[in-house]
Amino acid sequence: MNYLIKQFTREWGFLLRQKYVVVLLLCSLVLSGFAIYSGLSEVSEQQQTIERLKAADQSDRANVQQKQNDAGMLAYYSFHLTYSQPSNLAFAALGERDIFPWKHRINLLALEGQIYESDAQNAELAQAGKIDFVFVISALAPLVIILLFHDLFASERTSGRHDLLVTTAKSYFALWGARITVRFVALIVCLMLPFFVGAFIAGASAFKVAYVSLLCIAYLAFWAVLSVWLGKNATSAPRVASSLIGLWVLFAFIIPILGDLAINKTVHSPNGGDIVLTQREAVNDAWDLHKSTTMNAFIKEYPALAPYVDMSSEFEWKWYYAFQQMGDLKAAELSQAYRDSAAKKYELAGTVSWLSPPLLLQRSLTRAANTDSVAAYNYEQQIRDYHQQLREFYYPWLFYKGDPTKAALENMPRFESTTQTSK
Amino acid sequence: MTTHQPVNHTSNNDSTIAEQSKNQNNDNKRANYKAIIEVDSLSFSIKNNAILKNLNFTVGSGEIYALLGGNGAGKSTTLKTLLGFNKPTQGSVRVAGKEVSKALDFVRGKTAYLPESATLYPHLTARENVEYFLSLADINKTDEQINAAFKRVALQEGAWERPMQTYSKGMRQKTAIALAILREAPIFLLDEPTSGLDPVAIDEFNQLVRELALSGATILMVTHDVYGACQVANRIGLLRAGELVGEFDAPENGRIDTEQVHAAFAQRGA
Repeated sequence: MNYLIKQFTREWGFLLRQKYVVVLLLCSLVLSGFAIYSGLSEVSEQQQTIERLKAADQSDRANVQQKQNDAGMLAYYSFHLTYSQPSNLAFAALGERDIFPWKHRINLLALEGQIYESDAQNAELAQAGKIDFVFVISALAPLVIILLFHDLFASERTSGRHDLLVTTAKSYFALWGARITVRFVALIVCLMLPFFVGAFIAGASAFKVAYVSLLCIAYLAFWAVLSVWLGKNATSAPRVASSLIGLWVLFAFIIPILGDLAINKTVHSPNGGDIVLTQREAVNDAWDLHKSTTMNAFIKEYPALAPYVDMSSEFEWKWYYAFQQMGDLKAAELSQAYRDSAAKKYELAGTVSWLSPPLLLQRSLTRAANTDSVAAYNYEQQIRDYHQQLREFYYPWLFYKGDPTKAALENMPRFESTTQTSK
Repeated sequence: MTTHQPVNHTSNNDSTIAEQSKNQNNDNKRANYKAIIEVDSLSFSIKNNAILKNLNFTVGSGEIYALLGGNGAGKSTTLKTLLGFNKPTQGSVRVAGKEVSKALDFVRGKTAYLPESATLYPHLTARENVEYFLSLADINKTDEQINAAFKRVALQEGAWERPMQTYSKGMRQKTAIALAILREAPIFLLDEPTSGLDPVAIDEFNQLVRELALSGATILMVTHDVYGACQVANRIGLLRAGELVGEFDAPENGRIDTEQVHAAFAQRGA
């Protein structure tokens, strides 16, 4: 034990005397710290937005309920906030939350158009991405590792010290083992320390923190082993660095880009715009259809409301909301195809990720943080489920119960985010 | 082993050199040395390209053996093989009684190696360098012992705490020798130790090497400097294209005849 401590102490002291290594480590610390700060700020902003919208949502609906008594008018003017609460690991892996919407205000009108009207939101941002912790670890940290390890052996060879070092060292571990370990541990500390602070602030569970740490360390160890292995017998540090950077470009960019192209070529998917258009056309067309056509289709979905579909005037809210629902029904097939292809794409991306360690890490961490596309699709389904609850609340009032009482409105379903948290 | 054969792998073309070296032999003197480095029928090839061909020589305790040869003669390869960096294609290399390939840590523990360009860490001071390398070897030395070693190699006191990037080559060599002394290794392998040193530094270095030999150290140096080798070595082995083509012994209380070695060295452009 003393022997090990002695080796590490010596190499630690040696490392601290190498200015460029210290600068690299400090840069890593600052970069990781910035990513965590940026992630915490983003999550805090999202949480504040949700809280602000929740308060505004309640007050808006109270205003509507004060001014409107009619069930149709109430349903028309009342908006209902839905949101996807960021998990307490989201600060480290913002994932797809800057691409997929994490908040929607919906009303009782046709839903699919409301979900997909923002399908192309934040396209510019999606290109640039955000510098979150996962990005720092998966994309930038390998570069730091390459800089730290590529010339570990070659620099000693070119300066003529290698043979002296090897013949002087008592054992292989005393020299290379301790030197590699100290550099690796120092880098891990610089990169992970801000994460631990962030996890503490965000209240992430110890299990999740341990899981994320393990993944990150394993990933960084992969790059360290690769760098050491390539550099071990090399005499030319630039050649080692070039090879490693080539591998980095391959893993971090070429494989994901080619994978994305191949997946998009293989899996054909309708886009959100198609769904919105289909649903809106169906709703617009319904104005010109015979009312019985709409109502007959509607009661196939709600047979219990069949006795109440007759209309005594040209316009009745129950007909209006019935054709809204028929709009959703018309778009349902496209919407399902969209979701099926998204699931297929996600599955194929999983296969591609085994060829790209950075992608595999991003995928694993965004899954752990519940910020990946699976989380986004789960949120969409939560909106659908909530919208269904709203329909089931309003339809009796629209079809046969008349104006809802204040007490009944108190029992109106409220959206509850069931987003998994890491606690 | 009580006596050393002069050269037993001399080609016909080198018979004159063999004759000359025979005249230099002093078997009675060498009988006093205990063989520490034993190179026996050593051959080393890289991709069928023979670098060392059937080398045989020994170096005894207290002896300074200079392996002399031109560029590409195989001097550094011989050293690297003694240090275990090259595995012999044929033959064996024993150091302090142990086969190098089978007892690498033991052999390296007994050996102080001085590379041609003893570039220690330029951003560290001489003391920090020595402390670092001693720690690598798991050797503890006090500041006083380190100071004594610096004094013994005549490294100016004002330079001890200066980063080595400010050192001349001679000062770097002295620091490396101080390190070797502090390691208390009984065997010294020196690769072109005086290359690039000024005459005063060479004299100081040679004096130091002689002192080490007198204290019982076994010293094998490889060099292409005929004059330098004759100044310091008890024995010179002439290496040409991987073959040991002649050996020259110093007479009792004298030095090897530079003229003779130079003639042999230049005979076929060693």
